[in-house]
Amino acid sequence: MAKVTLCTDWLDVCSGCHMSLLDIDELIVELVQHVQILSTPITDLKHPPEEGCDVGILTGAVSNDHQEHVAKQMRERCRILIALGDCAVTGGICTMRNFFDVEDVLRRAYVETESTIPGQSVPRSNEIAKLYPQVKAVDQVVKVDLHVPGCPPPAKAIWYAITELLAGRIPVLTDDLLTYD
Amino acid sequence: MPEVHVQIDGRELTVPHTFTVLQAAERAGIGVPKLCAHPALAPIGACRICLVEIEKQRVLQPACTFPVSEGMVVHTNSPKVRDARRFVLELLFSERNHFCMFCEMSGSCELQSLAYEYGLDHWEYDRAFPRLGVDASRKFFVMDHNRCILCRRCIRACDSLVGNQTLGIKNRGAQSMIVADMDVPFGQSSCVSCGTCLQVCPTGALFDRASAYMGATEEITRVKSRCVGCSVGCGVEWIIRQNRLIRIEGDWDAKPNNGLLCEMGRFAPLHETRQRVRTPLVKSANGFEETDWDHAASMVADKIKAAGDKLAVVVSGFATTEAAQAIVTGLPGHKSLADGAAPAGAGACLSVLDEADLYIVVNTDVAKLFPVASFAIKRGMRSRGARLIILDDAETSLDGWAACKYESTAVAKAVELAAGAQMPAIVYGAAGASVAAQMAKALPTSKTVAFAPGGNTLGLAGAGITAAAPRKDARCFYVMANEMAQPSSDLLTALAQADFVAVQACFREPWQSIADVILPTPTTYEKSGTITNAEGRTLALQAGTQPDAKSEVAVIQLISSLTS
Repeated sequence: MAKVTLCTDWLDVCSGCHMSLLDIDELIVELVQHVQILSTPITDLKHPPEEGCDVGILTGAVSNDHQEHVAKQMRERCRILIALGDCAVTGGICTMRNFFDVEDVLRRAYVETESTIPGQSVPRSNEIAKLYPQVKAVDQVVKVDLHVPGCPPPAKAIWYAITELLAGRIPVLTDDLLTYD
Repeated sequence: MPEVHVQIDGRELTVPHTFTVLQAAERAGIGVPKLCAHPALAPIGACRICLVEIEKQRVLQPACTFPVSEGMVVHTNSPKVRDARRFVLELLFSERNHFCMFCEMSGSCELQSLAYEYGLDHWEYDRAFPRLGVDASRKFFVMDHNRCILCRRCIRACDSLVGNQTLGIKNRGAQSMIVADMDVPFGQSSCVSCGTCLQVCPTGALFDRASAYMGATEEITRVKSRCVGCSVGCGVEWIIRQNRLIRIEGDWDAKPNNGLLCEMGRFAPLHETRQRVRTPLVKSANGFEETDWDHAASMVADKIKAAGDKLAVVVSGFATTEAAQAIVTGLPGHKSLADGAAPAGAGACLSVLDEADLYIVVNTDVAKLFPVASFAIKRGMRSRGARLIILDDAETSLDGWAACKYESTAVAKAVELAAGAQMPAIVYGAAGASVAAQMAKALPTSKTVAFAPGGNTLGLAGAGITAAAPRKDARCFYVMANEMAQPSSDLLTALAQADFVAVQACFREPWQSIADVILPTPTTYEKSGTITNAEGRTLALQAGTQPDAKSEVAVIQLISSLTS
């Protein structure tokens, strides 16, 4: 039987959820016996292939137009989409900027920070993604099939979710696999 | 009492007809989740998490407010009920700003644990991200409106338990906000910082500065003990993590306080700024020098032996009865009470305050000295329409509550006013004893409630220490001070004139300018023993933490063994 294919990507994140994925430690050897990892932000190939994959994992919230594009592309190219981590599930800690105007947020980050050299300005290049006024959860942008909350989700919750899917079951997180912090 | 038969989750139960569905379920050990309901508070059905399916009822009903009736059939855990509760949780989470990942209460939050129980891995609704404030204007605890679910436990606790009615609600629906008084910062309101609202809050909306992030429910242990700050003798729970006190809560099961504490009892031990005494200290040319027990104890013993009948042993109300007994049997000299003697008539049950229709407070600032008793007075005034007469020459904290206030000798005026009352309660401390006695004689239906000046004054008296002041000719003092912070000016004068002063104390202050030797002693949360409160009830102290130090009694016994 052909291996199940897996792609992951990150949006507005601290990257902790991917660290938690790596925290499955030696189980990653067992994982690659059943799963072919096609693309992740922490391997050479970064983008899910056009021909698609079986399972896509997105970590992080949707904060700008680029991230919305990444989320939509992943949704188009995977059969089952997992929102992994609090930021992907609810917007998480990234949504703390939702209480402020975007311009205030940018000015604070690029101009007013104590460590910033005076005279700096907010970068406005067209190359740079545009921040949305409100940070969104992944399921506010695309359809999500499975939510795995946690900041980060424990490695065993990620392992459980993947192995349940491999066994053909819908993972139901309970007890210490379900956590918000 | 008439009883009714109900069936809950297939179990046949017989319960009093006054019960709610929640009470009936809980008596049978059937768990129904709750957020706004609380055992100490009247139910209001605000949060809807306790919804249950009752046959022949059109829609789901809140168990906390729905009364039982004959033949009722209830399902507390049907798929319909579980779906509804999940829906309620989704609404609660999406309304305000709940961020578990950095919340002080994560791991101890009733909202969070219910969401785990109901497998809430996300919610369908867009969040509103309302811009809400954090009110940190109070010294000991903080109100974060972002985490408030408007269950109104705090409002009901402040009203029906503390009688203070500081908290209320403004606006309606999603705009509702918990406010203090007429929407002023909590720190500028009529709040007495007793922290009862903090203790009942189911989320992280109210959190304690000292215990924030210090330990979640699974990491702590609870030890039931007593506060010795005043003679009410409130039941407390020491919240302990890794042999450290992180929080103090009122013990809901304890009389006479029924879970309430005052600002002093709940927060003072955790915010103590005085320097702790860990090893024996002996005065030297430049302050105090740390020394060992052998040296310090033999020095104190030599002075005690040399003093003969010029020795005075002064004991504070923080000392346990066991320490008092050890002092009486083991140390020579004249024994007296550091806080003064208890007034005559002490020993009445404080529950009198929850029955009286008139309070006459004589020469005592109850709200300042015995705050938890003042809550009972306020409660009676708010909920039963009881009235308050104050006889005092000085200002007191309850003046604004009083119907009348007279000078402390105006017995006749007070008696005239009180004549119509069914059950007047005459409340007094040491200073009001003689006036209170006259009044009690003139009002035959009255009950008296007398407070001793120190936490364990009655226990010390029971052990044989009854003198209100040390002998005038004493030249050598042994002071069992414990946590005592403000010795009376008479005692300070006597100590200043003495040749030698040994103090057994938890802290250096205020003894560093007075004492020749300071011996360490455990604080209230570090010791076990018994005390006797103003009601004359013997109450057990239980050590929350185990200090690596000599016990109160062991220090006395050491000195005693060297003097005999």
